[in-house]
Amino acid sequence: MSDKKKQVTRRQFLNYTLTGVGGFMAAGLLMSPLRMAIDPVLQPSGDGDYANVGLAVDDITKDPQPVEWEIEQVDAWYKSDVTQKAFVFKDDKDEIVALSPKCTHLGCMVSWEGSESHPDQFYCPCHDGRFTKDGTNIEGTPPTEPLHEYEHKVEDGMLFLGKAYPRGEA
Amino acid sequence: MQWQQDDIKKYVQAKEYIDTIIMPLQPFHLTKDEKIAQTSYENEILTIFSNELEKELSGRTMRIPSYTYVRSADKEKEIERMKTWVTDIQEQPFEHLFFPTFDMTWKKHEINLPGNLIWLPVTQVEEIQSKEFKKWIHENVLQVSELIRSYW
Ligand code: FES
Repeated sequence: MSDKKKQVTRRQFLNYTLTGVGGFMAAGLLMSPLRMAIDPVLQPSGDGDYANVGLAVDDITKDPQPVEWEIEQVDAWYKSDVTQKAFVFKDDKDEIVALSPKCTHLGCMVSWEGSESHPDQFYCPCHDGRFTKDGTNIEGTPPTEPLHEYEHKVEDGMLFLGKAYPRGEA
Repeated sequence: MQWQQDDIKKYVQAKEYIDTIIMPLQPFHLTKDEKIAQTSYENEILTIFSNELEKELSGRTMRIPSYTYVRSADKEKEIERMKTWVTDIQEQPFEHLFFPTFDMTWKKHEINLPGNLIWLPVTQVEEIQSKEFKKWIHENVLQVSELIRSYW
């Protein structure tokens, strides 16, 4: 008897749930243009998405140094913490530069002075791609565009990095 | 590259640059209650490790789905089955195959494997979000990528 009772309850529960889901979906359809406008995740973020990478501006040198930080990435199905990497240095004009280590050829991680025969360059171990210190790809090696550059800002003496852009579009 | 639509589209255009396979070896079982948690934990961290390794060497490697087998299976028979995977893989210009695993029983059969075994000792961590675990992943990814590069 209690079994029967349970079943009814379960069915009722399902009914409620299904109605609920349907209602929710309908609301979702109606609301979606609005949601697009206000949901920060869906917004093409120009600013506001900067992360403190744990490096004081005073500690930035002329030599590119690797920094790592984490951001929460949301795609259609998953939310996950993704590690971001950059090489940070001050250029000749004392401007801060933060380059993405992702090789613009096919995406391996480059390293600064990763090849002994090419000091003062970024080196990609996958197909010997090379870039000058400012990220420019070296002709005759596979990459066809410069390393991407992170947008950056300084707050309270700390470096904050945003998104990486192809050079010239930052 | 991952064995996923977007990456595969890139792969097909740039085949000549991608000559290395990463194929994790992952045991599976639901027998022995006291061991399942450990094996599934190893499965979890090997997946993270393999994906991070792929990221480091993305432009020249393809991380394919894990080769999965029943933990108690006869390894020599598994090697025969594994060879059918490898035969398929080698329809494309892949030269190097690496098999990361925590399953040390492969070690004894290493010589018969159709590729290079990368046996990693397991690390026990409480939390895979912990700093400690991230450090472990980071260091191992760097060392193993160095190993892979030495084959190139
Ligand atoms: S991925 Fe860097 S040179 Fe090919």
